[in-house]
Parts: sequence; structure tokens; C-alpha cells
Amino acid sequence: MEGREERMIQLFSDPLILGLVLLGTVLGITVGAIPGLTGTMLIALSLPLTFSMEPVAGLVLLVAMYVGAVSGGLISATLLRMPGTPAAVMTTLDGYPMAASGRPGRALGLGVGASLAGGLVSWVALWQLSEPMADWSTKLGPFELFSLVVLALAMLAGVGDSTRARGLLAGSLGVLVAMPGMHPATGELRWTFGMTSMNEGFRLIPVLIGMFAIGKILDDLAGRGGEVEKVSGGDSAWIPLVQWRRHLGNLIRSSGIGTLIGVLPGVGANIGSLAAYMAAKRASSQPKEFGKGSEEGIVASEAANNATVGGALIPLIALGVPGSVIGAVLLGALIVHGLQPGPLLFRQNPEAVHAIIGTVLAANLMMYLLMLGGARWIARLSAVPKVILFPLVTACCIWGAYALNSLWFDVGVMLVFGVVGWRMEKARLPLAAFVIGFVLAPVAEENLCAGLMASGGSYAPLITRPISLGFLAIAAILLFRKKKGSANKP
Amino acid sequence: MPATRLSSMRILAALALGIWAILLSCFPAMGKFPEKPITVIVPFAAGGGSDVFARIFQEAIRKNELCPQPLVVKNVAGAGGTIGSRAAREAEPDGHVILCLHDGIYTAQHYGNADWGPADFEPIAATGRSGVVVAVSQDSPYDSLDDLMKEAVRRPYQLVFGTNLGAPNHYSALFLQEGKPGAKFRFTQTGGGAKRLAQLKGGHVDLTGFSIAEYEQFKATGIKALATLSQKREPSFPALPTAKEQGVDAVHGLMQFWWAPKGTPADRLAYLENLLRQAMETDMVRERLANLHMDPVLQVGETLLETVARRSANLEGITIEKPTPLPPLQWMILGVVGVCAILVWREGKNA
Repeated sequence: MEGREERMIQLFSDPLILGLVLLGTVLGITVGAIPGLTGTMLIALSLPLTFSMEPVAGLVLLVAMYVGAVSGGLISATLLRMPGTPAAVMTTLDGYPMAASGRPGRALGLGVGASLAGGLVSWVALWQLSEPMADWSTKLGPFELFSLVVLALAMLAGVGDSTRARGLLAGSLGVLVAMPGMHPATGELRWTFGMTSMNEGFRLIPVLIGMFAIGKILDDLAGRGGEVEKVSGGDSAWIPLVQWRRHLGNLIRSSGIGTLIGVLPGVGANIGSLAAYMAAKRASSQPKEFGKGSEEGIVASEAANNATVGGALIPLIALGVPGSVIGAVLLGALIVHGLQPGPLLFRQNPEAVHAIIGTVLAANLMMYLLMLGGARWIARLSAVPKVILFPLVTACCIWGAYALNSLWFDVGVMLVFGVVGWRMEKARLPLAAFVIGFVLAPVAEENLCAGLMASGGSYAPLITRPISLGFLAIAAILLFRKKKGSANKP
Repeated sequence: MPATRLSSMRILAALALGIWAILLSCFPAMGKFPEKPITVIVPFAAGGGSDVFARIFQEAIRKNELCPQPLVVKNVAGAGGTIGSRAAREAEPDGHVILCLHDGIYTAQHYGNADWGPADFEPIAATGRSGVVVAVSQDSPYDSLDDLMKEAVRRPYQLVFGTNLGAPNHYSALFLQEGKPGAKFRFTQTGGGAKRLAQLKGGHVDLTGFSIAEYEQFKATGIKALATLSQKREPSFPALPTAKEQGVDAVHGLMQFWWAPKGTPADRLAYLENLLRQAMETDMVRERLANLHMDPVLQVGETLLETVARRSANLEGITIEKPTPLPPLQWMILGVVGVCAILVWREGKNA
């Protein structure tokens, strides 16, 4: 396709388009940073507004929001230990300890820079490798996806600075809490205790913000914890290029993992950042720093979660089918504009492809400039007195939980999980492991059940299919190997 | 000065008129339906087929100023559309909340995913029909539905059919089985259109069903349709034979229905019916439905009631065999939690 670059440059030299990238990125970062509001919510709300725009302008706005929202999550994850989006859960592990130890600027700078790197790597994949990657993703069937999730769950054993058993306990509790509601494969109801509001089970957003945001506030109200938060906020977010050299391998590896996993349906940003984090920990010369404010931990998590953005758009570009929530919304926007969906859509309307691919690049650059430029002020967020901050956060959480589906039940769920999160924190069970277990449980179950239904009840394909066997073998090694260095426990 | 007086009178009159106009616009047709925005519950996520369908009507009604109040699309997704349909069933029956839901309303009840169904609503209109096709991967050994169904008779429960259990898509397959005595598929839960495509392409399922719109969208990615389940050949795919032509007595399709909560007053139902009829006549709706390969059928009144009754009756003969028994994962997880708790406890004791 000759002239692709020129057309892209032409598109993005339009001040209106650039303005939309700016607007989308700012709005995305804002909702991403506010615990309780998510990018998906923003995009769904903005979808009707784009109907009155040119199709290309609408796509630009929506994609910019998506990029912004995934990036914005790192702000609250780092400064408040409240992940603004599920994708930022892993960032809380090291971002917050670093910020709390008086270097919020550096923590933000690392996160923002890594996000940019992740965004750029996945942009290259989206631009050049979308077709082979989309083909590769269809090779992974239900058994492979199940084994991948099992591998991710096994990784929870090493999350944060807690012990293997605590990580696993928190993760399996998360899986357990995902059980009530409709069976993800058969649709049968279980553990709903006869309450119709339980039919859908507990939703992710109320659980996530309850555990992290409300739980943290309860902890502070109870008068313990939080003494460490004398954040000076004076350090710089600018990290010279020389210092990035140390992280180069980590950046490339984490971005690659994020892009690859982002292509897989339903697995997305969470496994991407978890897998990159664990890989970084394995490769690190200082694995013990992970969970205590490791630079590598922040870099891995943020590079990977931004890299999933490009990955998630690949099925849309290559096959014209939505591979993710954002893909579905973008496709819907195209149809409402009267464009014919399908793989030909992008051959017949190349400007739509240029808009999507170009926006991934432009919005990542915009995000970097905005967040780095604003880091000095953003970092002051952690210096805002709690008397002001906490009521605001609580209000956002309640609003966000309610707005999700206009159900007060979700607000109740959020408050209950606030208490759960607070108590788990006291028991030194890592919340991140719990949330990831909760997110992955339905994916694992759906794929296992789909596989079993297809194989007539046989578990054999789990080990006869080579990719699946590989994932399970790595999981077994993670679970049963002796911990090196630490002599205290088997 | 008569001239000034006249002009001041005029000004006064104009003012009075203006105030009256403002008052009028503040209380548009007080007590007359609709008094406030009409909420259209779409029981699927934003961006999906049903969502797009409803938004086309919303946009046509807004652009052509067919209604003094806007339509607001509210996505209440989850649990195969039953969360949204329950919300609509429990809404105030005053015409301000309606539901846009296709054949899923029949199949969810029949499959047992919902204990309510069409009888719990007032049908307003059916606006658009979509054909369904049976598709296999491009490199599949089956080149006709006839081949495939013979195989399903010869080796029952071996061909894997990727479906969304309890959704209309699953019922297309059940109708196929009914239409060829002795034919049995093995059903697996696959999910929405995009997931079914991926699994078909990857060879994880042998066949699946798509709506005509989905097939049009996916066909260039390496899949082929073997038959349509429509009564007649689809105008968009004149070369694609029907199931009946290939000796399989199965007819199925997807109709989009609009429902109001039971007990909505008749005059309001009539208003909504008229609104949808007018929207149906706009160029915008016609064009967009054509893009989605949907027949722009419009059914109201007696015809609509007949359709609803017939579609319910059609399902009565269908028998469902529960798929492969699945492990009680929730209890296994409980066990894992217990084991982990013991490990943590031992760790705490040793420390």
C-alpha cells in the first residue's frame, strides 16, 4: 500500500483531527485516573456523540480515549495505590511503594515512559504484522486459552512481596468470588442464593474499586497504616535517556508480551501486565525488590498494558471483526455511519484504517507529552489532604459503581468488597492477586468448558496439544520449584 | 404618540407571545405521551448487532423529528440478554421504557435461562428479519449441507457445532437436527459472532451458524456457507441454496422485535407502533438495514401477534439434550482455597 504514510500524515495535519486526539486523550487519562470510572464507560457514553461526526473523526476520538484510559490508570495506581483501571493493578505493586518513599515524580516518569514504549511497539505490530498475528491468534483454541490462564494464575504465587502461599490463597479467593452468578459456559445459575441481582454475579468494577479504593479509605479511617505517605512530590519525572538504557531489554520484552497477549480475546491487559511483570522479575538481578518499589516492576507493567491496546485492535484491522470491547464499539460506530463491515471494509475505506493506526501513535505521543508535562502537578495529588481527597474518591466510586448498570446492588457490592479488601490487606494477602484471579476465573472456566464440550468430556487435549502442554509445564515449574535464595519455606 | 403606543403594544404582544411560546416549549403537550425521553433497553453490549440496530432507529427518529422526545438507548448487557429483558419486564408500564430484543426472548425461555418470555410483554412491532446460514471453514471436507448432515447421521455427536447455548444461534442448529432425522451434533459454548469465526478458522469447531450480516462481514476471511435456513434463497447470496433444497427440512431466521412491559396502555402502544412504522419508512433505516442484509419487514397488529404465537409454537417440538456434563468447578475451587489457607496457616506457624 503505497502512500499510506503520506495519507496518515495528511490526516493528522488537520487541526481538527489533532484537537480530537488531544480531547480524547485528556478525557481518557482523566477517567482512567479516577477510580471508579473506566475507559469502556467513557467510550460507550461517547459513542452516540460520534454519530453526528465524520466517521474518521469519530474513530480518532474513540481510539484516543482508549489509549488515554489505559495510560491514565497509572496515576492513581502510583500515587494512591488505587488502580484507576483494571489494567493498572500490577502497577500498584511497585509504583505506590516508590511514590510513598518520596519519589512520586520518578515513579510517574517511569510509568509514563514505559507506557509510551509499549504503545510504540504495539503500534509497529499493528501497522506491519496485523495479519500474521490475527491468524496466529485463531490457532489458540479453548484448551490453549485455558492453559494460558492456568499459567497466569500460577504466576500469582509470585506477586508482590508476599509468600507463594499467600499469593495463591488471595488468587484462589478471587477465583472463588467469581463463581456466583451465571455459569460462563452453560448459563446455569449457581450460588445466587435466590437473589435475582446475583444472576450476573459480582461485577469487576465494583469489586476492583471496592477492594482498592474503599478498602484503602477504610484502612485510613481505622487510623492505622498510611503513616508512610509523607510524599515530598519534589522530584523530577524526567528520566534521561541514559537511564532508560538499563531498562531497554525489559521494555522490549514487556511490550512484546503485552502485544502478543493483547491479540487474544478476553484475556487482554491483565494477563499482559502480569506476565510481563513476572518475566521481568525472573530476568531481574534484584528480584527481591519487586513489590517494594522496583523500577523494573513499574516499567514491565506499564509497557505491557499499553502494548495490549495495539494488540487488541489487530483482529479489527486484519479481519474486520472485533477482538475486544473497544473493537466492538468501533465496529458499531462504523456500521451506524453506514459503512459496510468486514475485511473489505478496510480495503474499501482505507482512511478508517489510517485513522485507527495513526491515532494509536498520535495518542500515545500526546499522552506522553501531557503526562510528563503535567507530572509535577499530578504528583501533588498525593499531597492533597485526605479530608478532601477521600470524600471525593468515595463519591466517584459510588457514582462509577452505580453508573455501570444503574443498579444500587453494585454499590452495595463495592462497599462489601471495601471491607473485604481492608481485612485482606491486614492479613497480608495481596489484593492484586485477588483481583487478577477474579478477572481470569470466568475466562478459564468458559474455555475449559467449551473445550470439554467439544472433546466430549475428555481432558486429554490439555496435554496432547503442544501449546497447551507448554503453558501447563511452565505453570507447574512456577508452582513447585524450590524458591531460590529464601531458605525459610518449601 | 400613537405610533409609539402602537409599537409598545406590539412589543407587549410579542413579549406575551414569546413567554407563551417558552412556557409551551417547557411543558410540551402536558400529559400527552411521551412526556419524557423514551428509554430503549438493549440487552446486549454497546457496539453489538442489536445495539447498532436499535441506534439506527434512534438516529432516524431524531433526524426526521418523528417524536417530540428523544429515544435513549440503554445497554443492559449480560447473561445472554436476560438481565436486560428482566429490567424491561419490571419497568413501569407507561410506554417510556421499551425493549428491543430479537428471537432470544423465545429461546432463553425455552432453554431455561429465563422464566419469562414473550407472553410477559406487549409486542409493539417486528421491524426487520435476518436470514441465517450454516458455515464451515474453507478447507472443510464438506461442500454441501447434504454431505454434512449425512455425516452427522453416520457419526452422531461427532461434528462439533460452535454455538451460544440458549441463544437463537443454538436453535438454528437444533432446527437443523430436527430437519434431518438421526442427525446429531455435539454442541459447544463458543460465544458471539467474532468468537465463532475465530474458532471456525482455527479448526476448533467443525461448523457454526452466522446471521447473513455476519456472514457477509466474515466471508472473505476463509469460511464458506453451505446453506441458508430461510424459506427462499437470500437475495444477497442467490447462489447459496436453502436447507430445504438440500433435503433438510429446517427453516429459521432472526426477527427483531420491540416489546413494552405488560400492561402498557393501548393508546401508547399504538403511538409507539406508529413511531416505529414511520421510522421504518425513512430512507436512513432502509439504507442501513440493507447494509446489514436485513429484510425491511414490518409487522404490527394481528400479523405481529400471529408471528409471536407461531415462533413460540415452533420451539415446542424442539428437544434439548444437555451438553457434556461439566466438572463442578466451584467446589474444586473451594477445595483449592482450603488447601492454600492451610499452607498459609502453616507458614504463619513456622515463621
